[in-house]
Amino acid sequence: MVLEATMICIDNSEWMRNGDYSPTRFQAQADAVNLICGAKTQSNPENTVGVLTMAGKGVRVLVTPTSDLGKILACMHGLEIGGEMNLAAGIQVAQLALKHRQNKKQQQRIIVFAGGPVKYDKKVLEMIGKKLKKNSVALDVVNFGEEDESKTEKLEALVAAVNNNDSSHIVHVPAGSSALSDVLLSTPIFTGDGEGGSGFAAAAAAAAAGGVSGFDFGVDPNLDPELALALRVSMEEERARQEAAAKKAADDSSKKEGESTSQDATMSENVGTSASESENKKDDMMDDENALLQQALAMSMVDPDTTVTARDTDMSDAAADDQDLALALQFSMQEDAKDQSDMGKLLADQSFVSSILTSLPGVDPNDPSVKDLLASMQNQPEKKDDDKAPKEDDK
Amino acid sequence: MSTESTSAILRNQVDLLDFIDWTGVECLNQNTSHSFPNALKQGYREDEGLNLESDADEQLLIYIPFTQVIKLHSIVIKGPEEEGPQTVKLYTNKEHMGFSNVSDFPPSDTLTLSPENLQGKPVVLKYVKFQNVRSLTIFIEDNQSGSDVTKVQKIILQGTTVETTDMKGLKKIEDH
Repeated sequence: MVLEATMICIDNSEWMRNGDYSPTRFQAQADAVNLICGAKTQSNPENTVGVLTMAGKGVRVLVTPTSDLGKILACMHGLEIGGEMNLAAGIQVAQLALKHRQNKKQQQRIIVFAGGPVKYDKKVLEMIGKKLKKNSVALDVVNFGEEDESKTEKLEALVAAVNNNDSSHIVHVPAGSSALSDVLLSTPIFTGDGEGGSGFAAAAAAAAAGGVSGFDFGVDPNLDPELALALRVSMEEERARQEAAAKKAADDSSKKEGESTSQDATMSENVGTSASESENKKDDMMDDENALLQQALAMSMVDPDTTVTARDTDMSDAAADDQDLALALQFSMQEDAKDQSDMGKLLADQSFVSSILTSLPGVDPNDPSVKDLLASMQNQPEKKDDDKAPKEDDK
Repeated sequence: MSTESTSAILRNQVDLLDFIDWTGVECLNQNTSHSFPNALKQGYREDEGLNLESDADEQLLIYIPFTQVIKLHSIVIKGPEEEGPQTVKLYTNKEHMGFSNVSDFPPSDTLTLSPENLQGKPVVLKYVKFQNVRSLTIFIEDNQSGSDVTKVQKIILQGTTVETTDMKGLKKIEDH
């Protein structure tokens, strides 16, 4: 809820025509800008946001800091791509625009989208950073588009020079399937806004992911912003981990031993995160959880497996084999140390676990090492349940 | 008679600490762990170890609004010999100044602090310029040794408030 005036510096240089961020770099950037504006104005109605372009014929301020969202969205239309990004001039003009803000009580912040290459020296950028720090202006940099050792180094140096008490951040967004805005949602650029911003972001994420209703988890921003934030963050984490798991499965399909261990490790992480999701829910309805998690899996997996197949795996108690794995599993469980009333139930639900296994490509459920893992997992959560039960009694 | 009244004014002057509007005090380029309360606030400034330090470079800009109109008589700035301030410019009644507009208008007074001043000797200001002060901006331009960090141990503002001065002044003169 910090009272803030923000200037967003957009890169509309030639490098933005590239399609490695869908649909084009420029469009991805525009979406991100819209998201940021919304989040800022929602977190505090008195916040103001302004926009300027850094490339084209020269640095041009499109809209001075205002709390009118419509104006900001309107100015993003009909922007032309061309020229080269002028980082130093852009930041200096942004600083000037902030200096002349109407409400002097607002904190000053500049958000820079750095897509094209940076032609300035590291020294020059550090001087600019120091000047910003001297005038207590915070700076956030989104490094996307062109990937270049020197560019990253220069931008890191810039943010380090400005940074005062962690108020300035730099985010690197590599090209990939996930949209620029989605990646930014989980960064301090958004979450630094506090809970109001995250509520907006959660609703936006739901819309982007094609959620059934307006709300992701049936509770969400208006009623309980903290819960919404927790749910959203754990959802993002789980999605990211499952994507990593899917990639690993595809890569290591040749080596059996290495594969199954990595599968087990990632799968245990998956279970850990889905457990954390379930424990975050106040609603103790098992069916809702399952359905929701199935939905989450379905979204990230190539081959969605919604039917819960009952599997009769032999749950032998030979847990002693995989000591390291059990230890790793225990650690990942301990990190999610909250009320884990549902976690035991979830893990004990073999059918659910098995459904995860079958949907993971490359995992052979009949593999003895996988079976051992399942057995060890059975033992671990039961132990944890015993620990947690007396704790819950105290509460 | 005139010496009587001037000494009367001197006797009436108070430490203006009580009249500072703390919600509005701002300090640019301060090191967050060594911030302005160390130099201004009652308990902190007595502590020799607590200083106000500059951050990115050696300049400091301190904006102090007052709760009522005051007349500023003199100022004491204490600091270490090496890193204590040297050139200090004072601006009255200018809100929200930045480092970029310190040169836009002439200061109400410019002080060059000697080592004695840094020990605690007050600097008497051009009284006529400080008759009607709502806010004071202290711009520390450089320090004694030219180092990158300027340290200020204590700042004392001495003067009188506008409402009360006249009555007391009148009384004193009547006595004699």
